[in-house]
Amino acid sequence: MRKDDPEGTFKEPVHESRPQLGMDPIRFEVMRSAFQSAAEEMAIALRRAAYSTNIKTRADFSCALYDDHLRVVAQAFSQPIHLASMVRMIPAAVREYGPQNLQPGDGLAMNDPHLGAMHLNDVGIIVPLFHKEQCVGYAANVAHHVDIGGLAPGGLCISKDIYQEGVIIPPTKILRDGQIIENVFQLIAANVRSPKQMGGDFRAQVASAMLGGKRVTGLYDRFGNDDIQKFNNELMEYTRRWTKSAISKLPRGEYRAECELDDDGVTDRPIQLAVKISILDDEVHFDLTGSDPQRSSPLNANLTYAYSALSYVVRCMIDPDIPINDGFYSQVHVSAPEGTVVNAKHPAGVMGGNDIAMRLCDLGFKALSPALPEKVPACSKSVICNMGCGGEDPHTGEYYTFMETLAGGYGARFSKDGTDAVQAHIQNTENSAIEETENNYPLRITRYELVPDSEGAGRYRGGLGLRRDWQFPGHQATLTVFSGHRKKGPWGLFGGQPGRPSSYTLNPDSEARDLPSKITLDLAPDDVVSYQTPGGGGYGSPLERDPQNVLEDVLDGKISSQRAREIYGVVVNMASQSVDLDATRQCRLGG
Amino acid sequence: MSNTPVGAKRPFRLGIDTGGTFTDLVMMDEASGEVTLVKIASTPQDPSLASLQVLHRCLQEQQAAADDCIHLVHGTTVATNTVIEGKGAKTALLITEGFRDVLEIGRQIRPRLYDVFCDKPLPLIPRRRCFEIPERLDSQGEVLKSLDEEQVGNVAQLLQDQDIESIVVCLLHAYANPAHERRVARLVAQHLPDVPITLSSDLCSEMREYYRCSTAVVNALLVPVVGRYVGRLEESLQAANVPDVLHLMTSSGGIISSTIARERPVHLVESGPAAGVISAAHLGGLAGYTQVISFDMGGTTAKLGLVENETPRIAQHFEVGRQASIADQASGYPVRTPVVDLVEIGAGGGSIAWVDDGGALRVGPRSAGAAPGPACYGNGQLAPTVTDANLVLGRINPDNFLGGEKHLEAGLAAEAVQTLADEFDMSLLEAAHGIIEIANTNMTEAARSVSVQRGFDPREFTLVAFGGAGPLHAAAIARELQIPRILITPHPGVASALGLLVGDIKHDFVQSCLRPTQEIDTGEVETILEQFQQAGAALLASEHVAETEREYLPLVDMRFQGQSHELTIPMPTCDRQNRESWISHLHATFCQEHQRVYGFSDQREQSEMVNVRLTAVGHIRRPSPPALIDTGPDAFKAVTTRRDVYFTETGGAIECRIFDRELLSAGNRISGPAIIEEYDATTVIPPDFRALVDPKGNLLLEPSMNVTR
Repeated sequence: MRKDDPEGTFKEPVHESRPQLGMDPIRFEVMRSAFQSAAEEMAIALRRAAYSTNIKTRADFSCALYDDHLRVVAQAFSQPIHLASMVRMIPAAVREYGPQNLQPGDGLAMNDPHLGAMHLNDVGIIVPLFHKEQCVGYAANVAHHVDIGGLAPGGLCISKDIYQEGVIIPPTKILRDGQIIENVFQLIAANVRSPKQMGGDFRAQVASAMLGGKRVTGLYDRFGNDDIQKFNNELMEYTRRWTKSAISKLPRGEYRAECELDDDGVTDRPIQLAVKISILDDEVHFDLTGSDPQRSSPLNANLTYAYSALSYVVRCMIDPDIPINDGFYSQVHVSAPEGTVVNAKHPAGVMGGNDIAMRLCDLGFKALSPALPEKVPACSKSVICNMGCGGEDPHTGEYYTFMETLAGGYGARFSKDGTDAVQAHIQNTENSAIEETENNYPLRITRYELVPDSEGAGRYRGGLGLRRDWQFPGHQATLTVFSGHRKKGPWGLFGGQPGRPSSYTLNPDSEARDLPSKITLDLAPDDVVSYQTPGGGGYGSPLERDPQNVLEDVLDGKISSQRAREIYGVVVNMASQSVDLDATRQCRLGG
Repeated sequence: MSNTPVGAKRPFRLGIDTGGTFTDLVMMDEASGEVTLVKIASTPQDPSLASLQVLHRCLQEQQAAADDCIHLVHGTTVATNTVIEGKGAKTALLITEGFRDVLEIGRQIRPRLYDVFCDKPLPLIPRRRCFEIPERLDSQGEVLKSLDEEQVGNVAQLLQDQDIESIVVCLLHAYANPAHERRVARLVAQHLPDVPITLSSDLCSEMREYYRCSTAVVNALLVPVVGRYVGRLEESLQAANVPDVLHLMTSSGGIISSTIARERPVHLVESGPAAGVISAAHLGGLAGYTQVISFDMGGTTAKLGLVENETPRIAQHFEVGRQASIADQASGYPVRTPVVDLVEIGAGGGSIAWVDDGGALRVGPRSAGAAPGPACYGNGQLAPTVTDANLVLGRINPDNFLGGEKHLEAGLAAEAVQTLADEFDMSLLEAAHGIIEIANTNMTEAARSVSVQRGFDPREFTLVAFGGAGPLHAAAIARELQIPRILITPHPGVASALGLLVGDIKHDFVQSCLRPTQEIDTGEVETILEQFQQAGAALLASEHVAETEREYLPLVDMRFQGQSHELTIPMPTCDRQNRESWISHLHATFCQEHQRVYGFSDQREQSEMVNVRLTAVGHIRRPSPPALIDTGPDAFKAVTTRRDVYFTETGGAIECRIFDRELLSAGNRISGPAIIEEYDATTVIPPDFRALVDPKGNLLLEPSMNVTR
């Protein structure tokens, strides 16, 4: 233990000398990039050929290749929430079905959260790969389908158990001889509100998985089974070594934090989350003991969700180039008592598992803030901000479903403001274009803008939230608000203030009825629903903020001059568009 | 040329390509088709200076008269650099009320997933200069809320007080009905008659507000900057007695007059990379190869593109000003204009080899560039690069780099590579070979993505390799993808500039027109195309393109109903009067393309039309160098020396013949292993390849078995 480090926080790096690969480094790198490019090719094919905006624009999917031991060899995805979807869900599905029951040309579908999947909307397709009549691995993808049945359109609902959330697909054979088994697909499609889109997305998923299969078979022809086996093992070891060495540079110790979510959607009772992070020599343990028992509500996560979120926190603290496979996951451990909101058991609803996972990210950062103050952000919007709706299109008479996830403020950081209106952490979904939405759905968007003064004030301020208003001309739609952070805004760090809480309003320009953050509504024609998403938390005291930065925000209309004076102690002279330095000094001294 | 009588007219064409390091000039004699090249250092503080310098040097060397220049095409990085460096004009945005922040919110995503400090790019126009205009159209272009003209006047007055240099108007659904945007422009112009105005509907009449707005904003930022630049260049050219014939190359590899370039500078942002692919398409075509994968490898990156039927593949959008790493999606600003479809990766001569923390050997994307450059440049950069590895393997001649103008330190290269060899307990040659093999793998994957990933079989293509480093690495890529043939252009280092002389004049038009295929009103399509054609004809006429040289190519963006991503296909050529058959033809063509690109399609599914496009082309006379005289297969006279070169195939270093490309003549055959050196490039012929000099002076490399067949 070092003298200047009585708590033993600082560690010597685990590896004294450079780690060595156990195989020819050139061949290793050639094979690694070949597998990675195969996974990326699957992702491109899926994204471009899919039907729904959800997959295409919002890129809510993940593709991966596995070896015959069901270890991830390569993965391509844009949403970190999928970090663990592939590593837990796909192997669980194959083991449950039995690998011995799979023939060339077969394929499985699966979405059962209580067998390791995420929420029901995320449907996985798995294709076994054969080389010389031997199963050598799997190609798989998971994509978020816009509707999966259940209580309300878009798969968003205030459910009390999993049965209310939609159609549950245990590992089921969906492909035979490379073709979709029509009656199995029909059984699923008959349970969803947008069977046509689902059909298109399904076909794109199948095409992508088969493409991955084709590419990998080509790689087996090229490199040979023995070399690929050697490579797979070496890849895991290589990743493990790199992960260990990266973790060894983090300050050792135990870090804790707690927080509350507004409510569970069914009752008003807040949900308590707790985390204890133990950074050891070369691994990280998360213990979620102290988090609430599971609820009879949609606000539960299974361990897959919790694992994705906390793996994300680790990845943000270490070299982002480290590959994602079992070598990485073997150094990250998450434990939580069974039957809690972070390790929910059958038949708990998990629709809102994403929101729990999102908050776990921010909670992880909060816990680490005393140890890594220069690396972690204050709390970001920290809710998915879902809007789902459906109804009969007055022009076509067909039933439509639509869903959207909104951005909010990002948490402020040690040396930087939080970004305005951006997705955070495990979520990185693009917005859908207003013009395209209005062309494809009987919706009208009447506002899309930043919410001034919604930032968490600080030396560095949090990002602004955004506002989006939807109108439903000429028809009766059903809409679900599924969000949070309405009661308390995202927290600040080190004296930074919380961001402004979110708000949801029915007909903001007339009756202006305040809505809870989780509700399904039957709307009257021409009703408007308005979302204002939370701002990000601030970092450091607002009185230490550079007055010039406050001025810029005032000139951009992001912060009012009144707020500049009251919260930041900065007096802006609007006529000369400058900071009144004397008045500011006075103001800041006077408090 | 020296025997031309003094004072006689000797018309010629010029291409001047300004890059970050060099400014290249290509001159083509109109009568003989003979091509001359000049290369000088760029002048980044004012890029037009180097353009003038290179022009004067060429005129002097060739004893040519400036007023004999009948056509001048310029490729410039001014537009790109202006966006990247944030030096665009002070611009204001006028946008539909309620949507002030469309630009700033953007796509609401982060460029890097695990970097909590990496943010989406700052908006190109700060919020204080985004103004709301009360008005609203619906998706069919019907007026939901009429335009508040008084408010437009108020905004215009505000702008007057702010020294605004450029204005952009982007109103919701303006692609469906541009009336409000046009009215706003007229009203604003009354107050600010001298400020250029970009209308989103005019520039990019496509739905998806952020992308259209971003395109228009990039244009507006550039109008004053590019205007000044082109103005300066024109003045200097005029002073130098060059006639008024200046054109610029666009991102899609077409050329436009300087007048149009000043109005629509957004079309210039990717002009540099485009020229290379155009050149590859042309040189491949001249040699009789119409299906080409173009491979341009320089000091920092490698760019791969695909040419089908002598026509480069075109994409309809890209991102300008991406941050450091090429892989970071959404770190730049989207631009919806046609652009040559390229895959660019961080693999060039300067790419640095390194060991990651897991112990694997990696190459790039970090590059030593041209300065400080590879270790062998002797500028104190000590990490091993691809060029250093090539030098260690004996593939590059240290005394003949850039014709001997730059001496390379073989000892420094070996030292750099040795550090890596020590880490892996390998020999020096093994380590150098490893660096090359990993760089080749990265480029092979990029070549795969422009071909296989887009539904093309590389075995049906010819690899056209150029750029300073392309000919060093082409054989490895061809071998891996089973590309049967490689064409190495003459003067590979400046082949890109040649593209300037072979690009056609092109104008692209687009109109969103979302209709289920079954419900398409062919009359409506006809009307749109007629309008486009008229506008195209007017532009081509203003550029003095004869009617016989004009061509109009109608295209259409299609998708299956429910999809949100389109494929661009040529419009069926059969008669639109026969609606039924035209529509079924359209649907079938689309299904076929979907099958080709994505590997599935269902004829029974409903499709829909999203955009109608038209490209108006003015054909340009292209240089066709005279065929060389065949002197037979014996290339012995071109052998300058022999040296040891390392190949894996031979299990070590083997003595190779070294040829001087200048001394080779048509019909010469060389079997590998061999090295061919010239002023600005080195071609490697591995043991399993053979080369032939074709009548146009190209080197054709083929696997040995093919050549003997």
